[in-house]
Amino acid sequence: MNFEAVIGLEIHVELKTKTKMFSSAPVAFGKEPNSCCMPLDLGFPGTLPTVNKEAVIYGIRVANALHMDIDHELHFDRKNYFYSDLPKGYQITQNLRPIGSNGYVDLNTSNGIKRIEIERIHLEEDTCMQHHFRDYTLLDYNRAGVPLIEIVSRPNIRTGEEAQKYVEKIRSIVVFSDVSDGKMEEGSLRCDVNISLRPYGSDKFGTKVEIKNLNSTKFIQQAIDFEIERQSKLLLQNQTIRQETRRYDEAKRETILMRVKTDAVDYKYFPEPNITPIVLSDEFVNDAIKNCPELADSKINRYINEYSLSEYDASLLVNEKSVSEFFDEAAKLTKSYKLLANWINVDIASVLNKRNISINELNITPKSLVALISLIDSKEISNNQARDIFNKMIETGKDPLTIKNELGITSQISDESAIMELINETLNEFPQSIIDFKEGKSRALGFLVGQIMKKSHGKVNPKITSDLLLKELKER
Amino acid sequence: MKYMNLTIDQLHDLLVNKEVTPLDLAKEAIELAKKDTNNAFEYIMEKEALEIASKLTEPEIDNPLWGIPFAIKDNISTKDVPTTASSNILNGYVPLFNATVVEKLLNKHAVPIGKTTLDELAMGGTGTSGHLGMTYNPYDETHTRLAGGSSCGSAAATSAPIVPFALGSDTGDSIRKPASFVGLVGLKPTWSRISRYGLFPFAPSLDTVGFFTRSVKDCAYLLNVTSGRDENDSTSSTKPVDDYVSLINKPVKGLKIATIRQINNAIKDEEVLKAFNNTIEQLKKEGVIVDEIDLDLNMLASIFPTYFVISCSEATSNNANLDGIKFGPYCEGNTYQEVMFNARTKGFSELIKRRFVFGSYALMRENQQELFLRAQKNRRKIVNAINEILSQYDFIYTIAAPSVAPKKDESSDRLNEEYLIADNHLALGNFAGLPSITIPIGLKNKLPFGANVMARAFEEAKLFQISEKIEQITGLKNLNAKEVK
Repeated sequence: MNFEAVIGLEIHVELKTKTKMFSSAPVAFGKEPNSCCMPLDLGFPGTLPTVNKEAVIYGIRVANALHMDIDHELHFDRKNYFYSDLPKGYQITQNLRPIGSNGYVDLNTSNGIKRIEIERIHLEEDTCMQHHFRDYTLLDYNRAGVPLIEIVSRPNIRTGEEAQKYVEKIRSIVVFSDVSDGKMEEGSLRCDVNISLRPYGSDKFGTKVEIKNLNSTKFIQQAIDFEIERQSKLLLQNQTIRQETRRYDEAKRETILMRVKTDAVDYKYFPEPNITPIVLSDEFVNDAIKNCPELADSKINRYINEYSLSEYDASLLVNEKSVSEFFDEAAKLTKSYKLLANWINVDIASVLNKRNISINELNITPKSLVALISLIDSKEISNNQARDIFNKMIETGKDPLTIKNELGITSQISDESAIMELINETLNEFPQSIIDFKEGKSRALGFLVGQIMKKSHGKVNPKITSDLLLKELKER
Repeated sequence: MKYMNLTIDQLHDLLVNKEVTPLDLAKEAIELAKKDTNNAFEYIMEKEALEIASKLTEPEIDNPLWGIPFAIKDNISTKDVPTTASSNILNGYVPLFNATVVEKLLNKHAVPIGKTTLDELAMGGTGTSGHLGMTYNPYDETHTRLAGGSSCGSAAATSAPIVPFALGSDTGDSIRKPASFVGLVGLKPTWSRISRYGLFPFAPSLDTVGFFTRSVKDCAYLLNVTSGRDENDSTSSTKPVDDYVSLINKPVKGLKIATIRQINNAIKDEEVLKAFNNTIEQLKKEGVIVDEIDLDLNMLASIFPTYFVISCSEATSNNANLDGIKFGPYCEGNTYQEVMFNARTKGFSELIKRRFVFGSYALMRENQQELFLRAQKNRRKIVNAINEILSQYDFIYTIAAPSVAPKKDESSDRLNEEYLIADNHLALGNFAGLPSITIPIGLKNKLPFGANVMARAFEEAKLFQISEKIEQITGLKNLNAKEVK
């Protein structure tokens, strides 16, 4: 390729506060339209905004996780524009003094660690949800006033992969810090991409194209890669890039023109006169940071350093917050961390994938999984038996001991002296087999193990038995 | 008329002695409101008032507002009662909630009898621009003189007299200027002292709820019960509320007043000046220290343009919700832009549109530095100058308006000194958020005029103290149009 892509992302994250950014209406999804709103959300004359403290705390958490400077004074501004989904005719946001500025995140990419700088994050409020029909539009004010944070990166993202990793990282941060559901498919995390190309070595920016309606990180990567190719082709054909807004068509796997942008809209920002600046004490800011739940990066480090897990295993565990919490809960009850991680990352993960459910919807609790692992650890059951029990647990939700009894799995004999006794007894009964073994007839070993199994009613641990038998045969 | 020419104070005594009932008072006020010839009312709350008043049977001795009728400027939200701000775009709008100030008065069992006219959306100082047309000055039966604005209806209703007090709002001088024209006490308290929740915003950084009364003491009663922190208005002050009434008679000896030479010089009406100077002489006899001090003439002349830029800028944004989709009459259109364009074209008067265009222009990216931000900077400079004066003096004392109420067609040259300074200096109180009160000080050809006192933030108690003294000096307590005629 002849061009370098210059990519900047704007991410809007809906905060899962109890109430809205500036009113006491509940934040709730999937409720009957227009059932969760106060006069302020409807833009009634004379209503006044009151800043939601919880949203401020969430803003601070995210700012801190993104290594930002946190403004200890809260300032809000008005962004003025006319649109049908905007109840008040303006949006209260933070323009001049965002709550966080100058941060970064580090990404693990296929080309090593890449640092993405983040210009700012600010607090603001969401607009109405519009439902368009053929000749009318309905407004749902339930979303109007829901707290948002907007995270604006600097344009130092270069590839689709980086953009995808960046959004995944942001998503992980907002989900683990418990400020948002971070569900792109449901719109609680929304991403707009700005992308332009320029010849390598140039420090000028090309014409920016905006891509909207991206509802998975995979599509972000695909849309950007497509767009880089599209713009490259145009540039190589000496055509100019128009300043436009495009959307990504997931089926066709291409970006499609929505509208050509004219001059940038003038939002006529000015300070919000109904909210006087609010001083945030050091104590308030520090508490907000201190009370932030553990983030994925810290968990990975802990899993590697304290539980001796591999980086691969640790990373898998933190892909989903609920999974890592399941692991944390279980890890309090056992020391077989590696085994635990394997069961979660392999067996449980495959069930979750197959059924497309979250770990919390599973019939298995951290406690019951640990109970199963203890049975394996003490060699009371074999791995195959464990898998049988696991499948039954998923089906029935019963605890592993009950299932073991129901399946008639009796505890294995793993005690070596007890097994030796059986071995000697059997060898004395079948001297011919010893001779056969010495002559190289491999069947003899299988026959003898079978006899020992029979004698013990199938209770001996097969692995230990065959190891000991082999040793004994060689000595005789 | 039997009662509505009395003050709250006097009515309270009659109510407590059961010489009259709240229902009697409400009926009289409603009767008077129906007969009003000054175009003071948007809506008469007959049903509501009679219902409230008929429930009030046991007088509350310690509650001077019990059973007292009052009127409400129609830009203050009243639950289930139309509130139009005298604008066609809000015809038919019925709020779902009461403004906090209304709620507080209802809790004190005062009886609202009607909603009063104003300049459209409270933008204007003449009382002529509301959708019902001009509101007349009750002192002029020929209906040629202005009541002043924007709180014209509340001013007219209180001075007529139809009610003993009325709620208003003040962004530049919308209570204090009309108070001067109709001979009333008009208070704009400290910004944030009274909750603005429910007041339609004009320019929130300047907006204040206040009232018209016919005595200083009545004003103090009202501030006592309407002040204080309101969780619905995060800008409302958490400062404790003084008992303004009990402090009203404290001696004024030793208090310091500054009058401003450049404002005094801008007043050309000799009779008004004489009355003003007379109050000063009398105050001095009471031991008040009065100095005439200087303020930069250019700074004073910049009050109006500064006010205009800031208030129009904020107003254009505050009224953006009135777009024919969320509020206002729905107008056909092929796109949402067309619907909004048609609704706003139809719904607002030319005057309002001009202000919106001006405000929008001042906020545009390429003009903001030169207009909006410059105005903000100048506001800060003016506030500093005022606060500097108030660091040495308890009050700034001025004439409230250049003269008596002007006639409707008396055009004023908007660039002469008299207009720029004498007609606009009351906005100083809004710039700095200071408490400011107008009190009548004289009559000229049976037309009243007033003076204005401004004090430090939250020093309303002191403001009432000096005003009470001025009221004693002039003897113009409970002035009303009926009795002057």
